Amino acid sequence: MPEEAQSIKRPQRWDVPFWNESAEFEIAPMTEEEVDRLLQIPLFRQMDPTRFPKNTSLRDILLNDGRVRKFRKGDIIVRQGDYGNSAFIVLSGTARVVLDKLSDRVTGRQEPVRKSAFSAFAQWWQNPKLPEVRHLGVKSPEREAGHTDIIARTDPAVFVQDMNVIIKDKRTVDLPAGELFGEIAALSRTARTTTVIAGAESEMLEIRWQGLREIRLHAPEFKDYVDRLYRDHSLKNHLRETPMFSHLNDETLARVAAVTEFLTFGKFEWYATFTKIRETTAPDRIQKEPVVAQEGHYPNGVYLIRSGFARLSETFNNGERTVSYLGRGQIFGFEEVALNWMKKSDLPFQRTLRAVGYVDVLFVPTPVIEQHVLPGMPESELPKPQPVSIDKRSQRRSHDKIPPEMMEFIVERRFINGTATMIIDMDRCTRCDDCVRACAATHNNNPRFLRHGPIEDHFMIANACMHCQDPVCMIGCPTGAIHRDSTHGRVVINDLTCIGCATCANSCPYDNIQMVTARSTDGRPYYDQATNQPIQKAAKCDLCSTQITGPACANACPHDALVRMDMRNVDKLADWLKQR
Amino acid sequence: MTLTSRRHFAWVLFAIAAIVAWVVDYALRIELRRAEIVTGLTLFIVVVFLTLFNARKKLPFLPLLRASTWMQIHIYVGLLSCVLFGLHTGWRVPTGTFETTLAILFYLVAISGIVGLGISRWLPARLTVYGENVIFERIPALRATLRREVEEMVLESVGKAQSSAIADFYDLRLRNFFQGTRYMWYHVIGYRQPLLDLLSEVRGLERYLNAEEQAILAQIVERIHARDDLDFQKARQGVLKGWLFIHIPLTYSMLIAAMVHGVLAWRLS
Ligand code: SF4
Ligand code: SF4
Repeated sequence: MPEEAQSIKRPQRWDVPFWNESAEFEIAPMTEEEVDRLLQIPLFRQMDPTRFPKNTSLRDILLNDGRVRKFRKGDIIVRQGDYGNSAFIVLSGTARVVLDKLSDRVTGRQEPVRKSAFSAFAQWWQNPKLPEVRHLGVKSPEREAGHTDIIARTDPAVFVQDMNVIIKDKRTVDLPAGELFGEIAALSRTARTTTVIAGAESEMLEIRWQGLREIRLHAPEFKDYVDRLYRDHSLKNHLRETPMFSHLNDETLARVAAVTEFLTFGKFEWYATFTKIRETTAPDRIQKEPVVAQEGHYPNGVYLIRSGFARLSETFNNGERTVSYLGRGQIFGFEEVALNWMKKSDLPFQRTLRAVGYVDVLFVPTPVIEQHVLPGMPESELPKPQPVSIDKRSQRRSHDKIPPEMMEFIVERRFINGTATMIIDMDRCTRCDDCVRACAATHNNNPRFLRHGPIEDHFMIANACMHCQDPVCMIGCPTGAIHRDSTHGRVVINDLTCIGCATCANSCPYDNIQMVTARSTDGRPYYDQATNQPIQKAAKCDLCSTQITGPACANACPHDALVRMDMRNVDKLADWLKQR
Repeated sequence: MTLTSRRHFAWVLFAIAAIVAWVVDYALRIELRRAEIVTGLTLFIVVVFLTLFNARKKLPFLPLLRASTWMQIHIYVGLLSCVLFGLHTGWRVPTGTFETTLAILFYLVAISGIVGLGISRWLPARLTVYGENVIFERIPALRATLRREVEEMVLESVGKAQSSAIADFYDLRLRNFFQGTRYMWYHVIGYRQPLLDLLSEVRGLERYLNAEEQAILAQIVERIHARDDLDFQKARQGVLKGWLFIHIPLTYSMLIAAMVHGVLAWRLS
């Protein structure tokens, strides 16, 4: 093996421009002339370029965070269910949004690339003996293309044959040149809600979300435009997916959508104050959380969680006891509104709803619910009439299953954000560290979590990336190195585009990202040519996304002590806790 | 499957396997066949299979069932091996030096396995009782930090109070406490008397100190508790890790001896 360069140039944002990020399909390099053309699009023309900082000008954003892609008629541009890291603007042709679900077979949805059985086995002897070994000095076509086994998989456009036949019975909307789509998934780090197909030979500008975020930050007209698009395009879909509105016809749904309010509670950058808040007393912490709806108040409407989390609490002695938590798609206040309507009573809200950090809600006022939603609602969907107030037993359902202290612990520490939270039952854990060794063996001999963390009762939430629903670690990443994989939404880091700025590590409220020093095969650290500082990389659990086994930690625990838990599934969590 | 139903299922399977082994052995014996060859070979294969659990742990990147499933299989197949051993030896202590050695090795492996299982089930819950759940490998560093802090406090007490009372006490009683690794087995069994004795001596000293010294002593007492917690973790985590260092080498020794026994039995028959 040739001697590797020890002193290298520190990786920078935009070292790998967006057009050069994918190894899977050819994209023409972005040129200054191309950017000139893009700046003539009405959406960009109306922006004031002087509002952008010098080092991230609109021109540079388009040059580095944008790429122009060509699609044939029938090519899939984005797939429902995939995690989006970018948005598209139609330059020419049309984008056909398919509002109904297409089958995975039709859309060609694929699992991310995993290791073959042999290359998995080969890790046994191929793993470096030293920690954090990289081959940063070595040039290779794969590296140049940014292609490693942990890079985001960006599928080449999949062609939907006989598009007209396949989408014949589906509801579609055509977006002409100049329209933007895919921005919600990209900006909220969530899954795509629809599949979009090229309706004709088309050309699209794709912008990765880091660039999109900068544009949103410096161009207020763009923010207004995005909000308007949400109301026009997605709101009705969102409402339709909610069971309480599913019986409404298009016309009524449009009426409901027209009066639905967008409300935001808490700070989008909630993670910035999280550590400080954690140090205050429990009653203080809860009082600091913004109230969305207050127990005892008149139920003025129904709240639908759009993103973020909310705590459901009730008065208990002189404090507030957490009963449960709500996440995306869950509703609050419906039972009270419905019971009042059914029984002509004036039952107030039975619980308080508070923003845990940050929550985006859709608010539908009571008169609208009474006029449009309740009258045609199937009886099975209506709450059972209760003699005096909503049966407190129903509130305690999750209470009974999850002990109150545990509930407070997971809500207050915001572990509810995790989709793969590592929980260790310390009464079963023999501290053998088989989990840590298994993690190391599957990650080039580097364990990607710490078997350490806060404990409640005998349950430890270990310092392992939880693959959050709201991965705030991604917010500041200037290169998009930390991203969601498109199929499962796991939060992974592209080691090659990581510039070691530590923004993600500082943003992760759970301290689950470690900054490590990259070394060559002989163990010497790499240094930046310019500053002589060591080259750092962010490292964390990737849920063994390239392994054929799934998470090695949970598989390796001989004592059934360790589990990766999706905290959205309260019942599963409660069952697991109860078995212990 | 819940943990309880899994346990019931495993016991049923174990009982069936044990009965089948007993019936086969009995049938062979009443037909005057060489039942010990069948039970001996089966036992050997079973023990080799049991050692594969350790090999599986080295290959976490292969889809070879979850380690917890292996663990369950290891426990119940291990128990089955005891039954097979009993059938093989006719439930008697073997005669002859080599056979006796082999039998003792088997007993030791079985006992260390059963004790290890007991420890793994009993100790973890008791580990959470005292102190923080520190990572075993970090304990020496944490101990060193405590010791350094206490030594700084002792020096500070001499400077501030112009008295060597705390320093003398440190020399006499605390130096060993903070440097040594004594009373480890007391921690394993949960016997706290040495700590209580030390704390009572500290209280005895307290009455002869001025306010500044008392404040320093209070901080030292905090470190005594912290050190005791660390020792507690070290002792119990050490036992949890250590028993495998007995069980595994004994298993391999037994396997080698069993192979020799097999070859000898074959040559002599
Ligand atoms: S790194 Fe932190 S914020 Fe990001 S997904 Fe993991 S736990 Fe969540
Ligand atoms: S493998 Fe299981 S028992 Fe061992 S340290 Fe990890 S969680 Fe604890």
